[in-house]
Amino acid sequence: MIKVKFWGVRGSIPCPGPKTMKYGGNTACIELRFPEVNRHIIIDAGSGIRELANYMLANDLPKGPIATEIYLSHTHWDHIMGFPFFVPAYIPSTSIKVFGPVTYEDEPLEAVVGGQMKYRYFPVNMGELAGKIEYRRLKEDPFIDLGDGITLTTAIINHPITALGYRFTFRGAVFCTAYDTEPFRNLFVTDLNDPAYDELMALEGEEAAREQNQVLEGFFKGADLLVHDAQYTREEYFKGKVGWGHSPIEDAIATARSAGVKRLALFHHDPERSDDQLDAMTKIYCASRDTDPMQIFFAREGQEIIL
Amino acid sequence: MSERKTKLDKIRAFVDKMPSLSTTVSKVLEICSRTDTSPNDLNKVISLDPVLTGQVLKLINSAYYSLINKVTSLTRAIIMLGLNTVKNLALSTAVIRSVGQAKKSKALPIKEFWAHSIGVGVMAKLLAAERGMPLAEREEYFVAGLLHDLGKIPFGDEYTEVLTLAANTQEPLAQMEHRLMEIDHEEVGQMIASKWKLNAVITDAICHHHAPLLAAPENQALVATVALADFYICLFDIGFAGNRFPDEEQLAPMLELCALEWGAVINLSEAVDEEIKKAEIFLQI
Repeated sequence: MIKVKFWGVRGSIPCPGPKTMKYGGNTACIELRFPEVNRHIIIDAGSGIRELANYMLANDLPKGPIATEIYLSHTHWDHIMGFPFFVPAYIPSTSIKVFGPVTYEDEPLEAVVGGQMKYRYFPVNMGELAGKIEYRRLKEDPFIDLGDGITLTTAIINHPITALGYRFTFRGAVFCTAYDTEPFRNLFVTDLNDPAYDELMALEGEEAAREQNQVLEGFFKGADLLVHDAQYTREEYFKGKVGWGHSPIEDAIATARSAGVKRLALFHHDPERSDDQLDAMTKIYCASRDTDPMQIFFAREGQEIIL
Repeated sequence: MSERKTKLDKIRAFVDKMPSLSTTVSKVLEICSRTDTSPNDLNKVISLDPVLTGQVLKLINSAYYSLINKVTSLTRAIIMLGLNTVKNLALSTAVIRSVGQAKKSKALPIKEFWAHSIGVGVMAKLLAAERGMPLAEREEYFVAGLLHDLGKIPFGDEYTEVLTLAANTQEPLAQMEHRLMEIDHEEVGQMIASKWKLNAVITDAICHHHAPLLAAPENQALVATVALADFYICLFDIGFAGNRFPDEEQLAPMLELCALEWGAVINLSEAVDEEIKKAEIFLQI
């Protein structure tokens, strides 16, 4: 069994307030519990991780020292901003393993995540965290054995910095993430009249984009739950958001459907999206079809799903 | 023996911080420093420098991908990792490699060497098309051709003597290298390929372009295509990489491995010239 709980579903920046009470205003944080083997995994350390920390202090710490693994989809701020508020990191008995991709630069993951814990930004320095914290850089990997029967596959997804999708499996259950990402597309000039046009680049760019989209579809194949970027509608996407690294809802649904996904959680809601809008969009996008058993919903803070 | 070891150590040290070709660095800096770099320009500017191409592919494969999914195409790398990542990779590589590396080879003038490498890359790509290779595989032919002579870059001034003697005696270059320096450019190429973790087919092209039959069976057609391209480019003196007298006995077996007629190769001459000229204009050299 994998117990999934959403602690933050929002993209870009926390947006608390009366308009976001229902779906929540915290940025990305998802918790996975594997009760049979007593393992605990967190995906992303957005602002939602603060409430998760409170829960863990109240419920897990009394039973013994906290041990968890944090998988970062990427290191953009909305996905790491909660890390300094993850209170278990300040307790000496805690052990945390932090995994994530780093875009090519000299600094290791520790420095990228810890960069926000300098006195100019935050009153506590990285070195003052009392828990045992290890950092490991991840790259695309077809198979990682996490022990206890849990396996992980990672895939490069399409965002302005390197971002990874995660696919966890445990005893037949498959949980998959793909955010922040937008469909791969041909970046090269395709207009024959453009002086920069190069046939080989244009055609190979087309093929590479198509193949990468197929690779991702394969990555989602048969997932019991896929959490997918759905920040924009297609209309919004084509009005100036192309290349920002976020998906149109329609594309997320179409890809999940052809991958045979059982449940699709639309995720990383735009901070401007109100509860009323999300409710209205639920009516448009989430109606299930008879021929298509896939369940679609807009992820909500506090929501729990058992796989 | 110890002299050979000293030489090898020197070459190894050089390979560790191999500079980009100075002909391309300023253009790389110019293009990559823009905030609005176009994907086409970025692809072009990287792919015109054999050292930079090798380095960028190495970084991509070691930093982002598992070994089973080796990327050999810059086009694909740009689609997958995005413009900014590849741009920054190229920029940092070019800058790191060019600072304090004013090594000028007396034996191999860098512009001539560049023209030779580009020529073989372009020709290998055209030959791949001629052989009916699918589009997606042609860039690998280009990269293999572009990188095939990398092993010559680390040689020092003593290489001048090797080239002079080889020209005077018309003895195959690799043989002469061995006789005078106890190592040849295919062996040095092997060191670079393993250092840069280049894939098996490109490594074979670097290590066996003078004897394609020594390559792994599945790579022989590509290696022979690169060898044929090299033969053509040397024969018609396009650029210069030390070899004015390609071994004519090799021609027939190469054509056979590629399943091509010599006439078809000759027919590509205009296309090769045109592509090289375009590259020169682009780089303003």
